Amino acid sequence: MVTITVKNKIQKRDLPKLLSEWSSEFTIYVPSQNGVTGWAQWNGKDTDFMDWYRNTNIPPKSIFLPLIEKLFSFHRDKDGYHIEIPPLDVERKLIFGIRPCDARALSLLDMNFCNACEDPYYLAKRKGAVLVGLTCTKPYDSCFCTSLGISPSDSSCVDLLLTDIGDDFLVEATTDKGRNLLNSNILSKAVKYDEIKAKAHKEEVYRQVTRQVNVDNIQDRLFRYFENEEYWSRLSQKCVSCGICTMLCPTCYCFDINDKIIKNNGERFRNWDSCAFPIYTKMPMENPRLEKWRRLRQKICHKYEFYPMTFGVIACTGCGRCIRLCPVKWDIALVINNLPNIVKYEHGK
Amino acid sequence: MNYRDMELNLRREAQSLLKSREVDTIIGFEAGSLKFTTTPLITSDEADVQRLVINPFIDNNLSVFLTETKHRVGIVVKGCDSRSLVSLMKDNKVNREDIVILGIPCLGTIDFGKIEKLVGKERDEVTDIIVADNIVKVTTNEECKECSVQEVLYDNCLGCELSVPQECDILLGEPVATPNDQAKSLKKIMELNNKTSEQRWHYWSNEFNRCIRCYACRNICPSCFCKRCFVEESEPQWLLPVPKWQDNLIFQVIRNIHLAGRCSDCGECERVCPAKIPLRNLSREMYNIVDRLFHYKAGINKDIPPLMTSYETTDDEDFVEL
Repeated sequence: MVTITVKNKIQKRDLPKLLSEWSSEFTIYVPSQNGVTGWAQWNGKDTDFMDWYRNTNIPPKSIFLPLIEKLFSFHRDKDGYHIEIPPLDVERKLIFGIRPCDARALSLLDMNFCNACEDPYYLAKRKGAVLVGLTCTKPYDSCFCTSLGISPSDSSCVDLLLTDIGDDFLVEATTDKGRNLLNSNILSKAVKYDEIKAKAHKEEVYRQVTRQVNVDNIQDRLFRYFENEEYWSRLSQKCVSCGICTMLCPTCYCFDINDKIIKNNGERFRNWDSCAFPIYTKMPMENPRLEKWRRLRQKICHKYEFYPMTFGVIACTGCGRCIRLCPVKWDIALVINNLPNIVKYEHGK
Repeated sequence: MNYRDMELNLRREAQSLLKSREVDTIIGFEAGSLKFTTTPLITSDEADVQRLVINPFIDNNLSVFLTETKHRVGIVVKGCDSRSLVSLMKDNKVNREDIVILGIPCLGTIDFGKIEKLVGKERDEVTDIIVADNIVKVTTNEECKECSVQEVLYDNCLGCELSVPQECDILLGEPVATPNDQAKSLKKIMELNNKTSEQRWHYWSNEFNRCIRCYACRNICPSCFCKRCFVEESEPQWLLPVPKWQDNLIFQVIRNIHLAGRCSDCGECERVCPAKIPLRNLSREMYNIVDRLFHYKAGINKDIPPLMTSYETTDDEDFVEL
């Protein structure tokens, strides 16, 4: 497959103009800082959000799988129950400034919500969405995307990629959706020198991701250690079973379903859940993972063993949120690295 | 005595405790994998004690692990942690005979949020921090800034009322004075108290809008030891598990009522909150109310019964409105 990459540039100070143009067709989401860094609709004016040069604590999955989502409302009268399903959220969203790791995370969520089973609520929001990525400017010391085959300037999961080259952003379109965004006279053609500057910047940030995680034979290594209770118990000792690492993980998608009922009226919501909680899955039955070590093992194995088994890809993007934001600084990278590297025996060889 | 001496002391003591089989497990701190962080070290292996550290970044209240550890434990505590521990003893959650307390005369823990504000950079962009003679020197790639240690301690450390663990078997250093700056420690709470109730309502609606119900505040809290939290009850359902701000607020209000007389103001709930909700504004206010009404401070005096299990006929009843 030949990918035609169109290269343009835009002056940073012209960014509000460009966003305004795009907003005639899209609802624009940008990084926000309301007490905590996350995502919010663009206010239509300034680009203060660009001052925040690091990735957000709340991942952009929150736009497609919101913390709280109303599924339907219902009421009861003498004729029984009546359900009212709200219209699907089909506004076209443009996510501006998404990092390559988080864009990849959305493609991983797609495997679950689009391929494995079709989730209309997620699909409606995701289908028309356009991702305008931003090459990282300053990766965190907890970042390890490069170990998972993602680079801080990866354009494979975005429609458009912006790279900081001083007074301008180099703009690269990799999909038709992205190319359609370039019909603006605010953009100008990038010259060779811009591309050189962008390349240097990309190489520099790639070097800044210094944390390494050994994912060689990871499925096999985890499989062989699955029953090792002593290993998992030791690892999980300091975990306090809170939901930070899972809820703020860009690839975790577990949700719980709850009803809010007042007299004869009610609403059904779904909200983020976590496999770290002892009461996880208590509602339908029991939690098969009563001990902490089983729950922690589940988190690791789901990402590094079961996802590859089902979809052929590791469900971790190395964003490092689970390390950086952990109350006890539990480090997934150390766990993966400390699993002995067992040589894989391939059948028939 | 400096941190390094205390650290060496600790390693020696921990080693001998494990060797003599006086304890089966040591709970302390080791360096975190990210710079300027520490992480709990829970080990039964003598070889691991060399990894134990004591420095101005030890933040966790390790007594949270006591309710789930079996056998005999040697635990490293700061002043506030020892108060939590005493509180747990009084609630019959911890057996004093099973524990060897390694006490740190605590000079306060550094709030990295304040360092980040000082230099306008995040933790991993700071290259060096030197703490000496009550001065902290923070270096980044661009500059080097200095301030007094007081400026960068956690608010709860500034309001510390017990820097040297009272209940203690081995004190790892010489006693120190508390950083004591009550005015500064309570500044945010005072500001809130000076607001009208409408303004406070608005303030908290904004703060609790960010809550994601990760329950880190509850799980990191040594005093939140319920096997099943009221928020998880479904028959009856006290409040919705859906993180709507009103329910989030009620969750914290009830949690704080449950913690009345148990909270030692260790500040862990606020520290770990990924949504940066100023939870100490509630917990410390409750701490103050308990003190005012009942002259009771959690974990200070182990010989008097827990607040909620006893009463005096002379107790204030002003709060009962007929």
